[in-house]
Amino acid sequence: MLEVQNVDVFHGDIQALWDVSLRVSEGEMVALIGANGAGKTTLVETISGLLRAKAGAITFNNVRIDKESSHKIVQMGISLVPEEKGIFPGMSVLENLELGAFPAKSRKQKDETFKSVYGLFSILKSRLQQSAGTLSGGERTMLAIGRALMAMPKLLVLDEPSLGLAPLVVKSIFKVIQEIQDSNVSTLLVEQNVRAALRIATRAYIVENGRIAGHGKAEKFLHDEKVIEAYLGAG
Amino acid sequence: MTLTFITQSLVSGINVGALYGLTAVGLALVFGVMKILNVAHGEFIMIGAYTGFWLFTLLDCDPFLGLPLVGIALFFLGMICYKVLFSHVAKFVEEVKLKNSLLVAFGLFLIFPQIAQTLWTGDERAISPVYSGESFAVLGIRIGYVPLGALLVAVVVILGLHLLLNKTYYGKAVRATSENWRAAKLMGINVERTYMVTFSLGVAIAGIAGVLIGLTQALMPAMGMEWTIKALIVVLLAGIGSIGGAFFAGIILGVVEAVSAIWMGPYTVAVGMVILLVILMFRPQGLFGKA
Repeated sequence: MLEVQNVDVFHGDIQALWDVSLRVSEGEMVALIGANGAGKTTLVETISGLLRAKAGAITFNNVRIDKESSHKIVQMGISLVPEEKGIFPGMSVLENLELGAFPAKSRKQKDETFKSVYGLFSILKSRLQQSAGTLSGGERTMLAIGRALMAMPKLLVLDEPSLGLAPLVVKSIFKVIQEIQDSNVSTLLVEQNVRAALRIATRAYIVENGRIAGHGKAEKFLHDEKVIEAYLGAG
Repeated sequence: MTLTFITQSLVSGINVGALYGLTAVGLALVFGVMKILNVAHGEFIMIGAYTGFWLFTLLDCDPFLGLPLVGIALFFLGMICYKVLFSHVAKFVEEVKLKNSLLVAFGLFLIFPQIAQTLWTGDERAISPVYSGESFAVLGIRIGYVPLGALLVAVVVILGLHLLLNKTYYGKAVRATSENWRAAKLMGINVERTYMVTFSLGVAIAGIAGVLIGLTQALMPAMGMEWTIKALIVVLLAGIGSIGGAFFAGIILGVVEAVSAIWMGPYTVAVGMVILLVILMFRPQGLFGKA
């Protein structure tokens, strides 16, 4: 479904990604793990068209997307929930969700999508008229994910959804991510909470210093000694 | 007698203030959404005024009925200016964008008066339909038809803009872009196009304001800068990014200037400046801005 082939990305003159390849198949959840500054965010921003690849190709359902602009990529079915969440603080929760359904195709079916998003995040329904800037960190994350789902994506890309959240909130967010996965949306999950990510993902890629250092079944990494030492800590 | 005099000043203050507000709204819209400061805003007001003048003198078109035509013409002028000049600037990060847009707009500020000089000469012009001097009395206060019409047009334009921004999908996309353009892109919003339409809308509003100004004041090719400065003062007074607030701040400034003119005479411009300074000292975010 998503195919990233030998991609090089630069921030100005500084190279951030070297020869990165990655694949997400239909219905799969793929975890992207690695240390801070390894290039995970750079990679997902390149997929979403916010950054441009200098070499290599990205295809989505066999269509080249690495030269497309971001709003086109959203229309094609890839939604990114960025690390900083990017909610519109001065607008109401309802308006934020409405904007998620901006592409014409998703706008037509927004009433039904609303229902399923409320099903996942019942708390949002009780806050519809509140301005999004007054939400707590966890609620913002829920709003950002819910908003991305309003576009009815085929591939949902989540960049550090659990960043800065309390453990209990993280738990409920992960439960929802699992539910989204069950509803047949493919997911690319960037996560610093490596153990939780590996538990729910089918496959995983490890990013180190801008290169893919390894990939395979997520389960395998949970027992891989090198991974345990580098990212999971003892115990 | 004095009371009638003050009320009369109040009424004319509201009329002038509505024009201040309308000019400021266009500037605030462009600044709020694109984060560029269009110092050529007054030049678009001037071009709009002369377009209205042409419609009136050459085609004998009533200036009020011609307003939609001027709005459309200026919308396209704004679109051309955006495509040719500002679209390259809009791609930069915020600080560079602000600086470069200032340079580009200053360029327009130098060029447009020259073009106007060639097309309409340096002579003072006026848009003066037959009803321009007429007025009616309410409780001893004279209300002119033209100022009243201008006030109504200003209110309609602002209300229309308000509805567009708050009730339509497109308007919400504009607001989203102004809050966070990166996130707006991730919603599937075409940010470049939103910029273009917003800029053109700002120019169209400036053009309409220009005609309304031309109905009450003389037109000169060099009139633009004065209005840019007025609009800037009002935008700062209201608080940057507050579009509805800009209109009310315009009315406040108009009323204060008109009423203080009773005692201060020609120094009323200073009164506006003093108010601006005082407000910036005690409420730096502006009257309607968020802290």
